[in-house]
Amino acid sequence: MPTGAIVLEQVTHRFSLPRENREFTAVERVSFDVRGGEFVSIVGPSGCGKSTLLALVAGLVPVSEGRISLDGRPVAGVDPRLGFVFQRDALFPWKTVAQNVGLPLLFRGVAAEVARPRVADWIARIGLRGFERYHPHQLSGGMRKRVALAMTMVYEPEIVLMDEPFGALDVQTRNLMENDLLEIWSQFRRTVVFVTHDLEEAIALSDRIVVMTASPGRVKSIYTISLPRPRSVTEIRFHPDFGRLYETIWKDLKDEVRLGYERSQTGLLD
Amino acid sequence: MATSAARPVSWTEIRLWRAGLLAAFLLLWEVATRRAWVDPFFVSQPTVLATQIADWIRTGFIFRHLLVTMQETIIGFLLGTVLGVAVGFCFAHWEKLAHIFDPLMVALNAMPRVVLAPLFILWFGLGLLSKVVMVISLVFFVVFFSTYTGIREVDRDLVNNARLLGAGPRHLIRHVLLPSALTWIFASLRTSVGFALIGAVVGEYLGSHEGMGYVISYAESMFNATGVLAGLLVLMAAVIAIDLGLKRLDARFSYWKPVAK
Repeated sequence: MPTGAIVLEQVTHRFSLPRENREFTAVERVSFDVRGGEFVSIVGPSGCGKSTLLALVAGLVPVSEGRISLDGRPVAGVDPRLGFVFQRDALFPWKTVAQNVGLPLLFRGVAAEVARPRVADWIARIGLRGFERYHPHQLSGGMRKRVALAMTMVYEPEIVLMDEPFGALDVQTRNLMENDLLEIWSQFRRTVVFVTHDLEEAIALSDRIVVMTASPGRVKSIYTISLPRPRSVTEIRFHPDFGRLYETIWKDLKDEVRLGYERSQTGLLD
Repeated sequence: MATSAARPVSWTEIRLWRAGLLAAFLLLWEVATRRAWVDPFFVSQPTVLATQIADWIRTGFIFRHLLVTMQETIIGFLLGTVLGVAVGFCFAHWEKLAHIFDPLMVALNAMPRVVLAPLFILWFGLGLLSKVVMVISLVFFVVFFSTYTGIREVDRDLVNNARLLGAGPRHLIRHVLLPSALTWIFASLRTSVGFALIGAVVGEYLGSHEGMGYVISYAESMFNATGVLAGLLVLMAAVIAIDLGLKRLDARFSYWKPVAK
């Protein structure tokens, strides 16, 4: 039986804005499910609550209404079966590359002699052999992202949540990272939920795409991407179906983006 | 012209300037007192000062007193730092505690410690203890406030990431909170060392029978400007030496930080 399935049922998240004396609904009645080993992207206009949704699944933020379960068990607090790659790289600046990658194993009480070869393996896999003793500030943005990825994958979580992980990278580095991610994913077949505002990225990577509405974030539609695998993100864009998919989904997304933009202009958000 | 920013600073040149200015100042001081433009009774004289300090060093007189002052400074500094870090840590950890004691901390910190010195001497005697308490009272607050802010300002993403990676409360303290607070603590250490020495010297100055504060106070009561100034110079040298040591230590602990341009 495949593991790493996620089910969201009528998930709502509200928080209070004490200064304005009202409640803000970030995510409203969101329901969808992710099969074990599936790659699902969430796209939507900025401020639509897609990052909040990820934080809810990770157990970093409590659900106000509805429920989220992983393999049938409801999420209650931070779940060790999960991995999370942050938008900003959340590496530990006072630790070296090897120490960073090994940290989750240390936290999980894995014996040093078991941890060492696994750390070395992942450092080799992300192409940073020779950089073991470097500190994060000595690395480029792309290299830091690789370390963050290795740090998440080293303990082989069943589910990997990624919150716009490549948003801050330049286009070339970004494409390389996307290809590396696809390769790692096809080898390990973990469930990935990937938040992005970049529709092209979402189509190139995913099995399915969840389109969210402007705030409060609801599920607008869900698309299945049946482009052939294995994919190369740079080449899949030339596939005849790619443009058609892009056009269809963009039509759906466009209105929400405009709505989100107008609201942010009139100050309804923040 | 705005071209000066592009030109690299020549450190040899800057050192020459520094040495030259110092020499000029000492020369002016010497000449002014020899020609009796200024009365050396009030301002002493560089050569006389040098002889005095050399004398102190030769007889070992100064080392005895410097040792006493350093002892008070170091003991007080260590205790004050440990207390400051511990209390700062607890307050950052248990928010309720911080809320309850916040007014007290602010009020205590607002109290001028120098005026408290006579009370400390009354309570803890003329010896080491009263000076150590005085030093603690100065160092504690500096370290406390920076530890408290240091821990509260820890990057939330980093804490969340550690939790997701499986960190328990102890891991969080050991691998996230302490290392990131250490930066703040170190930034405050150099300030608090200066405070520590001031605390010890003021304590001695107001009531004791040994230490640099006592040497200065004794010279003052004899209207001996040379003694006062020589004592101050020795203290100055001690502070500079300690500060250099701390800078080295800070560099050792900040190996992971990007070098500031």
